[in-house]
Amino acid sequence: MTRRMPFPAVFGAALIALLFGCSAVSQSPSVPPKHPENLPQGRVDCLECHENVSTGALKPYGTIRHSRVFIESHGTYARQGQNLCASCHAPAFCQTCHARREELKPNTKMGDRPDRMAPHRGDYLVAHRIDGRLDPGSCFRCHGNKNDGRCKQCHK
Amino acid sequence: MRRPTTVVSSGKGVLPAFVAISLLLPLLLAGTALASDLSVSSNTYLRYYERDLAGGEKNTFAPLYEYLSADAANLGGMPVAFHFYGWGRVDLSDPSGSGKTSGEIGSAYMEYLHPQGNAQAKLGRFFLTEGAAMETIDGAFAKATTPLGLGVSVYGGTPVEYSILDGTSGGSALYGARVFFVQAGYAEIGASYLRENGTFQEGQDRELFGGDLWLRVSPAVELTAQAAYNRSVREMASQRYAVRIRPGATFDISAGYESYTYKGLFQSTLNPAFVFPALDNNDKVRTIFGIVDWAFVPGWTLEVAGKNIRHDQSDPGDANRGEVGLRYTYNDKKDVAGIVAAFVAADRDENEYREYRGFATYSPSKIRLALDALTQRYKKEPIPGIGEKNTYQVVASAGYQVLAALKLSGDLTYTQSPNFSEDYAGLLRATVELGTTAGGTK
Repeated sequence: MTRRMPFPAVFGAALIALLFGCSAVSQSPSVPPKHPENLPQGRVDCLECHENVSTGALKPYGTIRHSRVFIESHGTYARQGQNLCASCHAPAFCQTCHARREELKPNTKMGDRPDRMAPHRGDYLVAHRIDGRLDPGSCFRCHGNKNDGRCKQCHK
Repeated sequence: MRRPTTVVSSGKGVLPAFVAISLLLPLLLAGTALASDLSVSSNTYLRYYERDLAGGEKNTFAPLYEYLSADAANLGGMPVAFHFYGWGRVDLSDPSGSGKTSGEIGSAYMEYLHPQGNAQAKLGRFFLTEGAAMETIDGAFAKATTPLGLGVSVYGGTPVEYSILDGTSGGSALYGARVFFVQAGYAEIGASYLRENGTFQEGQDRELFGGDLWLRVSPAVELTAQAAYNRSVREMASQRYAVRIRPGATFDISAGYESYTYKGLFQSTLNPAFVFPALDNNDKVRTIFGIVDWAFVPGWTLEVAGKNIRHDQSDPGDANRGEVGLRYTYNDKKDVAGIVAAFVAADRDENEYREYRGFATYSPSKIRLALDALTQRYKKEPIPGIGEKNTYQVVASAGYQVLAALKLSGDLTYTQSPNFSEDYAGLLRATVELGTTAGGTK
């Protein structure tokens, strides 16, 4: 007995193929995979060199300016695409914090970079009791909600 | 506590296969033409600290960590790249974790970036944020945007995250898609779907519907929104709506509303940290927030942030968090100094504390010095039975750029807290950055 492919699956596959085809013949340049020049340490302001709209995120460079506002809401932008991020940041940059089994706190790894927004400074074993009670969703963003082995040492 | 019958896989079964494929592919391509853009980054850390044990004995810990990332782009003269990131630990003294060794492959994947139209594809293990998804998967991802702005992304594979509970292993699958429309410079709106096979809440698969929006209503005003609906428990898992105003190049302000439900967001069956009494799964959090970033004079930035956090449950109750900070950037932007004061005022005394922090760096020539001092002052003793209510920590760091590609540095950390009457910890750091071309990877 042969099984017929359901129409929605065929239609969906054809639509996706069409979209990829259209994208492939697009004439607008993609964001370069790597920023062509070395970037200075610290928070970067793209507006110092760039104007208008980025080819990657298709958003104004002012939106990407790494102010405190952007840093706190970077996930909102990253969920719409990572290719502009990856042009300046190393592909592994996200996983400095968004890790699964990480054992070193970001601020331990970056003890020489106190200017970075590295979470868990101080004796966080104490402070996490409060942060975890008041805003556990903030833990979720980096630790996920399944597997952080550090939790198990106490939360058995 | 009810335990899941199947959960997400550790990925161990497929790991050797995909690593072999991922490593072989660039070698095959390199056979036709060498990669023109190679970069390798190695960060080695050796920590040293001691912990007192009952009975007057003490453990000595000296874990050695290696974090390695490697990127090879333009493979075979094509817009194809290979990315790798992983870390490992070996204990030179007492075990610092569950064993004397540990580690993981964070990512290892091939990537294709089409030169036009931002089409891209990934194959291997990678961290993915796309609509409702924020996952690390062993699988494939593809994304395309048409010249009209309509686009689609699809992904599928095996989830890499796994439960920490004993005896929970097994295969699973994670897949999803996002359909979006983008008008360059003005708007992007997306709808997404994610499904992860397994026995999650309510004994069902994890199934999320997501929505996201970025809308520039005027040159200075942007609206953003993201929301996820957990179909498994039939609840809005999370929502975040914000308005951002940038009246000039130096002023950035944002305000918004965020909420999430514990039942919708957390997988209480997979992690005991999310189980009562640690957390009440019926609770819901609603947050109103505001952030100001104002570079009022070149080099000087004022940062102000505030949050009102409200819970449905009286324990943990409501709280307000405020923070004021001042940053000064100098030495051709190589150095930063700053002071920060923050407070949490809460319904319950055990949730209240104040925090003060000051830091500075100084980088003359090849030397880099950094100092970071912090104190946290709790209203109520955070660890019952231990009267100490304050934490003090000072981190002093010194480094030297030995070669263009090699930097050595060391940190000394002093901590006094409810956990530690007096603790000193040391860290040695060796950073190697090699690359065949200049440019951008911060």
